[in-house]
Amino acid sequence: MVSINYATREVSCKIVYYGPGLSGKTTNLQYVHSKVPAETKGKLISLATDADRTLYFDFLPINIGTINGFATKFQLYTVPGQVYYNATRKLVLRGVDGIVFVADSQPDKMDENIESLNNLKENLLEYGYKLEELPIVIQYNKQDLPGVLSQEKMHAALNPTNWPEYNASATEGFGIFDTLKCILKLVLDRARTGSSPSQPDKPVAQPAAVAASVPQPQAAAPVQPVWTQPQAAPTAPSWQTQPVEPARPAAAAQAPAYQPQPQAPEEAPAYYREAASAPQETSSPAYRPFPGNTVEEEEKMRINHHPIGLYNSGRIPRPGPEVLERQAPPQAQAAAAPGGSAADMPRMAPSLKVDKTHKKRPFWKRLFGIQ
Amino acid sequence: MSDDALIIYEEEIERIDSLLTKLLKGAEAKCALLVDKDGHLITRQGFTHSLDTTALAALLAGSFASTKEIARLVGETEFSVLFHQGKKDHIHMSIVGERSILAVIFDDRTTIGMVRLYAKETADDLARIFTSMNNRSRHDRPEVTADFAASAGDKLDDIFKD
Repeated sequence: MVSINYATREVSCKIVYYGPGLSGKTTNLQYVHSKVPAETKGKLISLATDADRTLYFDFLPINIGTINGFATKFQLYTVPGQVYYNATRKLVLRGVDGIVFVADSQPDKMDENIESLNNLKENLLEYGYKLEELPIVIQYNKQDLPGVLSQEKMHAALNPTNWPEYNASATEGFGIFDTLKCILKLVLDRARTGSSPSQPDKPVAQPAAVAASVPQPQAAAPVQPVWTQPQAAPTAPSWQTQPVEPARPAAAAQAPAYQPQPQAPEEAPAYYREAASAPQETSSPAYRPFPGNTVEEEEKMRINHHPIGLYNSGRIPRPGPEVLERQAPPQAQAAAAPGGSAADMPRMAPSLKVDKTHKKRPFWKRLFGIQ
Repeated sequence: MSDDALIIYEEEIERIDSLLTKLLKGAEAKCALLVDKDGHLITRQGFTHSLDTTALAALLAGSFASTKEIARLVGETEFSVLFHQGKKDHIHMSIVGERSILAVIFDDRTTIGMVRLYAKETADDLARIFTSMNNRSRHDRPEVTADFAASAGDKLDDIFKD
């Protein structure tokens, strides 16, 4: 999400380059880094493996200067493309403002493109974003290679919803800046602080015009202004018409790391449980409390052996249930209170030590029978 | 998502900065950064001139995000404190509220215990500020970026030319 800082008068947006492995996301960033003026760019940070494959993300901050009195900064991220890096790929998408999908135009990579697009959709959904509501630009990369699929074929396979799309070659450098400019404009237009969405009557950006105004080095490409979205589209894209209500996953409500379970009262001794449930179960002919025992004997044993049995025998008055109920320990009560700071504190595990309430008679007393 | 945007005003930054300064004095640390979990730097205090704070913010947030995933794998929601020990300088990171990270960089002039103590106190105070920020009604958020895209157009063409 866009970060707006009134104190330093800065607006900061996050743009993620997504796509299958080896489709040229990092190369995109490297090209941008090599071409933009030095005062605009920050350091390109690459968290990559020894073989130069992205491990976590590449990061390139870009400061395009002051717009409407606000220093406007973009953070360009790439994700690792390999399928098995999905965990880290998902992390990079957190708080994304705009996505550039870099597709590989080679025919044998089409399955990977589609898989990656589906994966993007899934990962965004986990953050509560919808693919249709985010600004997305799709880039058909590697158009300089021989035998690649044409833009029409790529469009038919990957872009049914008519996102802005560009032919590009990250190694030769065409189409890279068009893609970037388009996504930056889309993101900036959405970077509104108020609750009102963009006006649907106002076109967000005119990438077709942008693409036409910048002469493309590849003259052989038949269709150059590649954004095919018709101006007379009956409905504006959904991100223009609807305020986006991100449904935060439940995990966002951070539960405290340690949640003490409300301590269940300890189970009563087996013989007590049996006797307590006896009245119901005696109706069943199969019930036998203990081998050879009758219900009356059980009852007598319960009275004589359990402390509460004293009350049942009628020798002393029985206290109310609130006294007999086991009180939850004060710790658990404090933790159960919502927002209590005690819940955040790390707590020791409950002690397993048995509470010795009565002392055993010494050996010599027992030996000689002295009380 | 525009409702979710992180918006910070001067008076909040002043309060946050004064808390961070107090933390630095109390714990005798070198500098403190407050970072959004998305990787945006919110504010910084102390000796940060030699640091690339933008990149640092992005990497700290990334580090926290991956640690959170590790936590989930071992059955925790997240690890609320992270500590990196170096030869001279060390970093102590802790979670503030729901969406920010407080990172304190310190060296051997102080101890991890002191930093931890003060960072905990500061994080609690900051969390309170963030809660009040969240409760602020959406009506008093002015539209600053009304025609941002239009104003940015020429500038973008200037910067990004082949």
